[in-house]
Amino acid sequence: MKWTEKLGNQLFEPGRDQSPGEVVFFKLFELFVIFYTIKFAWEWGIYTELRNFEVVLPLGLAKYIDVSIFFENQLAIINASFITLLSIMSYLRLGYRWQYMVVMVLFHVQYVARFSQGEIPHSQNLIGMAVLCFAIGAIFFPDKKKMPRFVMGSIIFFIGLGYTSAFFAKLIGTGLSWNDGRHLWLWIGEKSIDILSREGEYAPNFLQLMALKSTFIASVILLIGWLTELIGFTMWFKKIRPFTTLMLIGMHIGITMTMNIRFDAFVMQLILVGFPWYILLDRYIKSTPDLLKRIV
Amino acid sequence: MDSSFSKRGIKIIGATLLVYALLVAPHEGEFWPLSIYPMFSQAGNPWTRAMVLDVSSKSDADLWETQLLQNRDSDVVAVGDYGVDQIDFSNFIVKTREWTDSRRQALKDMFGPSSISEGRWMVSKVRGELIGRDSVSIEITPFILLTADSTFINPNLPASEYGGLTNEMD
Repeated sequence: MKWTEKLGNQLFEPGRDQSPGEVVFFKLFELFVIFYTIKFAWEWGIYTELRNFEVVLPLGLAKYIDVSIFFENQLAIINASFITLLSIMSYLRLGYRWQYMVVMVLFHVQYVARFSQGEIPHSQNLIGMAVLCFAIGAIFFPDKKKMPRFVMGSIIFFIGLGYTSAFFAKLIGTGLSWNDGRHLWLWIGEKSIDILSREGEYAPNFLQLMALKSTFIASVILLIGWLTELIGFTMWFKKIRPFTTLMLIGMHIGITMTMNIRFDAFVMQLILVGFPWYILLDRYIKSTPDLLKRIV
Repeated sequence: MDSSFSKRGIKIIGATLLVYALLVAPHEGEFWPLSIYPMFSQAGNPWTRAMVLDVSSKSDADLWETQLLQNRDSDVVAVGDYGVDQIDFSNFIVKTREWTDSRRQALKDMFGPSSISEGRWMVSKVRGELIGRDSVSIEITPFILLTADSTFINPNLPASEYGGLTNEMD
């Protein structure tokens, strides 16, 4: 058996039958993704209309189309409306197989219009990746049994890859000295200014105080986070996945506490995809509800 | 489902990965939601952010003085209270090279028409850097003074900081 086939078996588990718990979990997870897609589309759309007036940093498609047209004429709001409508139709499996891909493109445009002001946030990336995986799954695996497996497997693949990629980006960008604790001091200082600017006041928490008191503690905090990123790819293997997920969640809690960067949707999505929730659901759900059978 | 499904799934992930690489490579690692996640990859570099200080009660003589963060003697205006995203605000102040009429107007409009009222707000750049082996220095430099009807630039800074402008801006 080739390693690609082994990896495929770990991600898609073709030997396991589809159970009622798996179907219920898959539609709940899809609902979670759709909810955040619509939430972000409206938040970004309203902010774009009210606050953006000039493109400072063109990202993605904004390099090729002038997204400043979305700052006026309610275009960002109209785009949010289309994303909402098409997402709900896709969830209910009304319309076409390629519909999710249209949602993906419109969602991308909404992101690059909103974040054309210089900031490149990553806290919404997992929701975006999930939409992309739903789009690819809907096109290539419309079968009711295969689509859930492909979508969940591909999401897990890209999450694991993303963390390991982040490890190497740091190794290449800075080198082995990346985890020097003084680097954390600089970032704590930077984030403290962001909070001071936003709220008018700032007080460091105990973890930040500990890191600021000792280069050694700050270095250890960075090293633990960095090594956790390195092992991100081990999410691909189903037996290790829950443990890797726990470490990644712990790392995100650490990032929130040391650098005040919150990843709410990110962490919730990790909790959802990192553990085999269908096993728990199968204890209580013995048959798949008819409604879900139609829209899976 | 059998192993042929797995094989096809991996092939499609491989093809997606190829498109992923082709999209992020010419776009500095970012083509949302595709990313190489380069955040925090370059450690130890100095940074510059922005904040607004309420300098209404400060004397004109002290207005343009650079200060260390720990010696700050003016209250910070919480930009979040005005619905402004502080990171967008920082990027706007730090990355704008030419302070044209429309950009200066946009800076005032950001906080709403009557927010400044009778007061004086100092938009300041804040720079952090590592000093020696064991300390971080954070310095506040006054950049643009906002009043209800005018904007003024820091006379102690070189004109190049504002894209060549030297005079009072209205």
